[in-house]
Amino acid sequence: MSESVVSVSELTRRFGGTTALDSVSVSLPRGAVYGLVGANGAGKTTLIRHILGLLRAESGSVRVFGLDPVADPVGVLSRIGYLSEENDLPGWMRVDELIRYTRAFYPAWDDAYAEELRRRFALDYATKITNLSKGQRARAGLLIALAHRPELLVLDEPSSGLDPIVRRDILGAVIRTIAGEGRTVLFSSHLLEEVEQVADHVTMISYGRIVLSAPLDAIKASHRSLNEAFIAHVGSAATPAAEP
Amino acid sequence: MRAPALALGWEFRRRHLWALIAMAGYLLALAAIKLLFLGPMEPIRLDPPDGRAAVVMTPLTATYFYLLAAFSFGLAGDLGARPSIYPARMFALPVRTAALVGWPMLYGTAAVAILWLVTALSARWPWGIELPLIWPALLAAVFLAWTQALMWMPYGLPGLRAIVTVPWLATLDAVALLAIHYRVRELMMVAFLAPQLPLAYVTACSAVGRARRGEVPDWRGVFARPARNAVRTRRRDHFPSPARAQAWFEWRRHGRSLLAMLWLAKDAPAFVFEILFLALITPPFMAACTAWTVSRPNPQVRDSYGVPPFIATRPLTSAELIAAKLKMAIWSTLAAWLLVLVAMPLALEWSGTWPLVTERARRMNDAIGSPRAATVVLLILAGFIVATWQRLVQSLHIGLTGRAWIVKGSVLLTLTFLILLGPIVEWIADTPSVQRVLWNALPLILAGLVALKMSAAAWIATRLDRSRLLGDRAIVAGAACWVLAVLALYGVLVWFFSTPFVARSVLALIAILAVPLARISAAPLALAWNRHR
Repeated sequence: MSESVVSVSELTRRFGGTTALDSVSVSLPRGAVYGLVGANGAGKTTLIRHILGLLRAESGSVRVFGLDPVADPVGVLSRIGYLSEENDLPGWMRVDELIRYTRAFYPAWDDAYAEELRRRFALDYATKITNLSKGQRARAGLLIALAHRPELLVLDEPSSGLDPIVRRDILGAVIRTIAGEGRTVLFSSHLLEEVEQVADHVTMISYGRIVLSAPLDAIKASHRSLNEAFIAHVGSAATPAAEP
Repeated sequence: MRAPALALGWEFRRRHLWALIAMAGYLLALAAIKLLFLGPMEPIRLDPPDGRAAVVMTPLTATYFYLLAAFSFGLAGDLGARPSIYPARMFALPVRTAALVGWPMLYGTAAVAILWLVTALSARWPWGIELPLIWPALLAAVFLAWTQALMWMPYGLPGLRAIVTVPWLATLDAVALLAIHYRVRELMMVAFLAPQLPLAYVTACSAVGRARRGEVPDWRGVFARPARNAVRTRRRDHFPSPARAQAWFEWRRHGRSLLAMLWLAKDAPAFVFEILFLALITPPFMAACTAWTVSRPNPQVRDSYGVPPFIATRPLTSAELIAAKLKMAIWSTLAAWLLVLVAMPLALEWSGTWPLVTERARRMNDAIGSPRAATVVLLILAGFIVATWQRLVQSLHIGLTGRAWIVKGSVLLTLTFLILLGPIVEWIADTPSVQRVLWNALPLILAGLVALKMSAAAWIATRLDRSRLLGDRAIVAGAACWVLAVLALYGVLVWFFSTPFVARSVLALIAILAVPLARISAAPLALAWNRHR
């Protein structure tokens, strides 16, 4: 078995009376594209925030690259590329300033790759982030998440704001490229079709509990499709709606 | 709740329920105090206001501004943005624009008018102060209606909203002040103010109508070309370190606020020495006003009090993130003081008042000698500069906790303290026996404060060490720097106040209290508590 990039053990998290995560254990092998699926409010973002160290484990443990992300944020975050679901890039920055600012944090920043991504995403240096469309903003976020060639790429609902063509062409290509280089991708989504296209391994989460975690091929072997597996393990009431 | 009017009213009531309860509670407490302790035998002075008047006026004024912000949706909107701050979600409601404008305006104007009537009636009974009822209530309503109209208007440039709104409201204010000065009859004031309500309503309808149709003028094209050219020339510069990049981020985000505030205050009129004093206290005062921006909540993200994920996921420690803020505050302070120190001599020279200042300086020189005079000037200047920086960063440990209850509780406590300060100071000033007791107990009071400060600092240092937010070496180096600063200040104080009337122990206690320690040290803890929830 390959070395784990992320190791979450018996993680429980409560917000007031709501249990967001209930004894969750996950292990992400290096070099895999890992899909985290679940209905809205299932606990996907809470799990990702623990992995990033933005939430402190109340019980259980979280290790990323063998490190505690709360105790050693620099050691962990410098090896992660993250695209937030909220996409809260500073609106006052121009695209060139965003690139210039972000590259200072990552010694492995690849200027040529950043430029290639900027051209591919058709981002103008002089445009302010606040003037970008939602899709362009997601592309800018993706650029700064990718350009330092992170060991672990975390994409939290990356599809929000991207139209189907952009989703298929850009996201798919990026995820395959990253995985092909032996890097690990963790992406959460409520779009099963999208997960089915790119993931090697799928974890289903429902009401804070992991209900299924297996390689995609194994899931397909036991169920006709990921959608069927989702209905079987999570229930039709929580089935994510298909996005047009 | 079938009618839109009721639903809109319910939303205001539901969102501001606690503020309304607090206001009602305050008025009840005030009424009880009046009945039990004050009554008609205790006169209250309004011009200038005495301590008791401040107890009444400060919260009522704060309530008025709160209502102004609440009913214009200013608490949730981005005031600097070009689009209307009227909540966009309400544009999809199946009601006419007139209703979207009319009901909030009606509720708001009614609320502020009632606030004035309650204030005026409380002043009449039992103190017997005759205040006009109609026109101030109308002025408050007009002020609110125009605020709503100008806030809800879409603008062509970012920040234009403030540039348009502030002078317009200031003009209204000036008209009212002139009317008071010239004792204009109430009927004339009503005749001037009453037509403004429909005018503001029509303006607001037009503004919300345009916003509802998505019409936002864009005049930024005028500035686009120079910005594009600038980008071409600067694109290849890189930051030498993450710390420098983060300091640049903080400077761009918050560093220029103090300069902007100073610029706004540059025309404050006064006489020669008053203007000098005002110029000197302006930076620390404006720094206190600007401080909230350094740790202000971020309305663009889901958890507006939390650290935005973009910042929280920077590969920097919480201490490094704080260091960037502290550095930004230093640059901001130095830039503000550079502006003051350049502008002040020029202003004195151009106004022909330079000889007055040099004459006063010469007299001080003759009285206490050159070294002391120079020390006094340098100490005052250094004190003001340090105070400016301190004002900018001293509330970081509150704002960065990310907990709404701490931030709001702190504001409430500060307001309460400010409200009570007036009567307490007045009581001390009017009671020589209290002054004697306080003077005799001064060393004990200072020692108590020092004990409190040092206990807090020790607890914070322990937490910083245990949480590994700061290394042992950094904690020891910080403590050593603080001790050196205290010793230096103590030395200067001893040299300057060489008098048997002030004990050296008191000077030592003052030096310990004067050099910032606990609150600034607590900032990394607050940020880490917020960043890793």
